[in-house]
Amino acid sequence: MQQINISINGKQFHLLATEHETLAHLIREKAGLTGTKIGCEEGSCGACTVLVDGKAVLSCITPALRCDGSEVTTIEALAKDGKLHRLQELFVEKGAIQCGFCTPGMVLTALSLAPALIRETDSSALIRKVKEGLSGNLCRCTGYKKIIEAVAGYVKEISATTVSKSSPFKPAHAIKGGVGIPRPYLEAEKKVRGAAEYADDIVLKNSLHCKFLRSIHSHARIEHIDVSEAMIMQGVHYIATGREIPGKFGVLPISQDETAIAVEKVRYAGEIVAAVAADTEEIAAEACRLIRVKYKPIREFLTIEDSLNDAGENERIHETGKFNNNIHKKAELRFGDQQQGIKEAEFTSKMSFEFEGLSHGFTEPHAATAYWDENGLTIITATQVPHYLHRALAKVMEVPLSRVRVIKPYLGGGFGGKSDPFPHEIIVSHLSRKTGRPVRVRLSREEVFLTNHGRHPSKMTVEMGISGEGTIKVLDADVAIDGGAYGSFGVVTSYYNGVLLQAPYKLDNFGFRTYRVYTNKPQCGAMRGHGAVNSRFAVESLIDDLAIKIAMDPCELRMKNFLDSNTLTVGQYRITSNGSRESLQKVMDLSGWKDRRGKLEKGRGLGVACGFFISGSALPIIWNELPQSVVHLKLDFDGRVLVTSGSSDIGQGSDTMLAIIVSEVLGIGMDKIFVLAADTLLTPVDFGSYSSRVTFMAGNAAKDAALILKKEITEALVIKHNINPGELNFSDDRIYSNDTTTNLSWMEAVEILTAKRGAVSVSGKYISPKLGGDFKGAGAGLSPSYSFGACIAEVEVDMETGYVKVTDVWGAHDCGKALNPLAVEGQLEGSWHMGTGQAISEQMKYYKGLLLNNNFLEYKIPTSVDTPDIHASIIETIDPEGPFGAKEAGEGAIHPVIPAIANAIFNATGVRITSLPVSAEDILAKMKENHLAE
Amino acid sequence: MLKGKTYIKASTAEQALSLARENNGRVRYFAGGTDVMVNRFQGNDLADLLIDISEIQALKEVFASDETLAIGSLISLDDLAGHSTVCDHFPVLAEAVKSVASPTIRKTATLGGNLLCGNRCSYFNQSEWWREASGYCLKSSGPVCLASGGSKHCFAKFVSDMAIVLISLNACVELLDFSGTSIKPLESIYTGDGMAPRGISPESIIKAIRIPLNHHISSVYKKLRKRATLDFTSLTTAVSVKKAGSIRIVLGGVHAKPVIVDGKAGDDLKALAAAAVSQSRIVDNDTYSRKYRKDMIIVFLERSFKELQLG
Ligand SMILES: Cc1cc2nc3c(=O)[nH]c(=O)nc-3n(C[C@H](O)[C@H](O)[C@H](O)COP(=O)(O)OP(=O)(O)OC[C@H]3O[C@@H](n4cnc5c(N)ncnc54)[C@H](O)[C@@H]3O)c2cc1C
Ligand code: FES
Ligand code: FES
Repeated sequence: MQQINISINGKQFHLLATEHETLAHLIREKAGLTGTKIGCEEGSCGACTVLVDGKAVLSCITPALRCDGSEVTTIEALAKDGKLHRLQELFVEKGAIQCGFCTPGMVLTALSLAPALIRETDSSALIRKVKEGLSGNLCRCTGYKKIIEAVAGYVKEISATTVSKSSPFKPAHAIKGGVGIPRPYLEAEKKVRGAAEYADDIVLKNSLHCKFLRSIHSHARIEHIDVSEAMIMQGVHYIATGREIPGKFGVLPISQDETAIAVEKVRYAGEIVAAVAADTEEIAAEACRLIRVKYKPIREFLTIEDSLNDAGENERIHETGKFNNNIHKKAELRFGDQQQGIKEAEFTSKMSFEFEGLSHGFTEPHAATAYWDENGLTIITATQVPHYLHRALAKVMEVPLSRVRVIKPYLGGGFGGKSDPFPHEIIVSHLSRKTGRPVRVRLSREEVFLTNHGRHPSKMTVEMGISGEGTIKVLDADVAIDGGAYGSFGVVTSYYNGVLLQAPYKLDNFGFRTYRVYTNKPQCGAMRGHGAVNSRFAVESLIDDLAIKIAMDPCELRMKNFLDSNTLTVGQYRITSNGSRESLQKVMDLSGWKDRRGKLEKGRGLGVACGFFISGSALPIIWNELPQSVVHLKLDFDGRVLVTSGSSDIGQGSDTMLAIIVSEVLGIGMDKIFVLAADTLLTPVDFGSYSSRVTFMAGNAAKDAALILKKEITEALVIKHNINPGELNFSDDRIYSNDTTTNLSWMEAVEILTAKRGAVSVSGKYISPKLGGDFKGAGAGLSPSYSFGACIAEVEVDMETGYVKVTDVWGAHDCGKALNPLAVEGQLEGSWHMGTGQAISEQMKYYKGLLLNNNFLEYKIPTSVDTPDIHASIIETIDPEGPFGAKEAGEGAIHPVIPAIANAIFNATGVRITSLPVSAEDILAKMKENHLAE
Repeated sequence: MLKGKTYIKASTAEQALSLARENNGRVRYFAGGTDVMVNRFQGNDLADLLIDISEIQALKEVFASDETLAIGSLISLDDLAGHSTVCDHFPVLAEAVKSVASPTIRKTATLGGNLLCGNRCSYFNQSEWWREASGYCLKSSGPVCLASGGSKHCFAKFVSDMAIVLISLNACVELLDFSGTSIKPLESIYTGDGMAPRGISPESIIKAIRIPLNHHISSVYKKLRKRATLDFTSLTTAVSVKKAGSIRIVLGGVHAKPVIVDGKAGDDLKALAAAAVSQSRIVDNDTYSRKYRKDMIIVFLERSFKELQLG
């Protein structure tokens, strides 16, 4: 230990630092400034950027001792006298902040970049330089577009010789109006200041730290675990092994196949075998190294083929299935007559596809703290599904549901990757119970990759047939997905790969079969666009191929086959509003499709694709009669409406969405609304942030609650003022009758309402209508509403290296009604960024069951310079049942962009992409083959 | 977590050297630290004594004489790319700098550190847990190379991008070690053995990089990687041509050391490119396949020749 004197944000600190401690650790753990985030610890994400003596540095790879005598500036120092720095204001105004985890690093990087760009007068050169300057900072939410706008805007402002009067900054809650007004998230200011607390930022007094020992084998029996040497280490408080918490769990009631710590055997390399609670992270890690485990490796199953086959003499991964193989789930549905469909089709196309697994890549690693007190267990954790975690914890800890409290702090992104109950959450709960102290855990980026639950690697053969006029006659899909070691959402994923092909096109003869297999790899689960991203890719590629076969414009072919609004699909999905045509038309117009396609220079190409997605599942995961979402409102003497909801804002903006809805119904400003979500002690149940359900379901529950409150207020006023209830208007913080004889301020109305009664609490709910057919499997993919959309992508392919650059994406998405257009755009831009990654660079690569690229350097998320120019259009169709007409906007948009890119590559090179990510090498090889064939 | 015991800042090269002497050379110099810190995080660098040399001002200067441009080894990559003397003489250096790591890293990373940045392999640059689970590759003291499927020779790839372009410019390094100061061709400090890629004693300090002037060199630099930023090289090529007619081709990322092919105006360019390919030792330790990287050598070199208007 060495004492250092370091000035952080102008304050002198005298701190003891260990010789090889990082600056990030010192700032967060010793100076207590948690605005500086840690995303990778390896210099590959930029989240930890701070300024040292004015220079931007990555604090995760800077030794603390180097900064002895230095002045460090962290995000917390930027706002002065309660006022944000202008750059921070622009981040807020432009909507550049979603989950906000990358924001502190982004802002500081931009701040150190800006002065050098002042002389850049050319707008496009400025944008290019901003992109370059930010290219070491990963953002997984925004697609960078709004961040770049904010930074370029700032540079322009500071470059201007004359001070142009930009309108003064308005905090989000001061922006007037409700539905349809673009606004930043309510908490954007807090995030941009570095004041929003994420799970690892909340440090409880007296906490112990937890670290895990993970299996080095993919499939092995655990013969013996010896913790004796580790246990006697100074600072070690408890070491847990699997037998202590043998309770099984899993997000779906039908796949409760996982234990928190491996019991008897391990099923993937990286599975937790023991957990240590100790005074510090270092001690816990050192103790893990002292634990001796004796394994007996058994044959591992690593590929889909391996697992489909009979296991022979070998031990299966799970001993549950009827047959002697490792198939987890088989799903099959058939509608119409596919044989007949093939006969009727004049042109058919059949292709096989292969997709690598993907990671969500959220920037905030999982983290949690658990403690026990007189109220039972409390856990503060980065989760998308507080409710399911609540249930899983009660089950495995063997306590009543009433003794578990799950608190969701701010989340640094999820994308499906935080939507299961996780072993680490259960383990810290257990360790805390055993030690009587709060226990903290924070996963490294490698551990996040090992925890996985990402997109399933998949293989599929899909066939389609069309008539000579271009009517789709048949669609048949045969799909196999690689689930990894456990179930997760896999049963749903299996169905979604098939059922979510029954729109957006009319189909009479449609069928699919999906196998999900267990393999000895980290488990797969739900990821943005859940289940149907890969099979959608296949279908949109086939349509492209068929369009060529019948010499029809692929847009025209799609237009011809779209389902109408207010119709049923072949599998009895109820389609309400449907903006497919408008979406496609929009992107055709904006991209110049008709004029430009086929006329581009060599190596460039345009491609199109469409898609659709559910707005929440109509059926709950756990069968019961609870509403899918409940929202409570409480209005007290202070005129403030407290909105409590169990829904989980993970950076997508759902808290703000709830406030907008309440504001719209009651005609009051955001300054009178406070959203509390989610804390399972205080907030009513919502099933969580998955399957794009929150706006539709929690939004509807909020609307229901607000309408009830409105009725309460109306009734109180009717009695007091003796007026006709139908004549009352709620708007602009006033309540007035048509003839304005009654004309009250909000506070006056509140006084009347609360007189002799006090605070008024109301409860609203959403229950999905009964939908769908009565055949087995009819429930899969049923949703009260579906979103639709289209993308056109432009690519530039280097004809000698095969390198693909996606230059532009024009996308349009029918979200029913954009409650907050700024947030919807953000979701779309983020989806198209993520889809670009899946298309061109992201994949999880394995070496014998070991993930090779478990870090942000080798798992290649597109940076600001790899992300195409994104042109987003919002299409509004007003869904009859959505809150103010709204449908989902967070997931569906990712479906069309990936095949659009592949179809653009075909257009540029004549090479049909059948495996993802696109490989430069394959493109070259196939171009050569095509050339030879000519 | 980081392990180890001491961290000392040296204010002169001589002081750093004497600290190294006192500790029998068992030290790790620490310049920007952008490579060292990551290696330490992964448990690949366990040195207990870190000597931070980044504050040695004397090693940050740039001098141009009539014959030589001498660049202090501790200049940050960012400052190097913005240095007018350097850019006037060798614009290709700025271009190469901009292909290294990320803009923020380049503010801290130094030129000297870049030249000695560790060789990389998908089986080696992993956590301790990972290396154990994989059975330890040769470079991690295991029995065989995993990337090649069993070879007894390590070809962890050479990734310093700056070395490639500097060697093409016939740069030398000025070294300080226990026996004093010496000047050597840059390429001579690389062994080609992925296990021990540096041919200099551990206490050696690179003081400066010296590039001969007045050769009227034109150079073309290229780098293959998946993303247009952040990524280490999958193949780096630099081709420099002197007015007097000599051609120097240098490849990075395809061997445990830089691959060098010297030629002259009028040589069969195809033969030069073929020689470069045949000298490379590519193993599957990268996101791109072996075959692809090999094929790209030819594509990159042909493009470079064209841009240099050779042949
Ligand atoms: C995300 C990321 C991406 C990267 N991408 C690239 C890339 O694209 N291309 C690339 O080339 N590198 C890349 N790097 C590696 C590294 O950042 C650079 O090579 C950098 O230039 C190293 O310089 P440094 O000063 O930080 O070296 P350090 O980490 O300080 O040192 C590196 C090595 O050199 C030794 N050393 C340093 N200076 C001297 C000296 N003067 N005399 C003797 N020994 C010395 C050290 O002891 C150590 O062994 C990347 C790193 C990260 C984290
Ligand atoms: S946490 Fe420092 S760069 Fe990612
Ligand atoms: S807002 Fe950038 S990572 Fe979430």
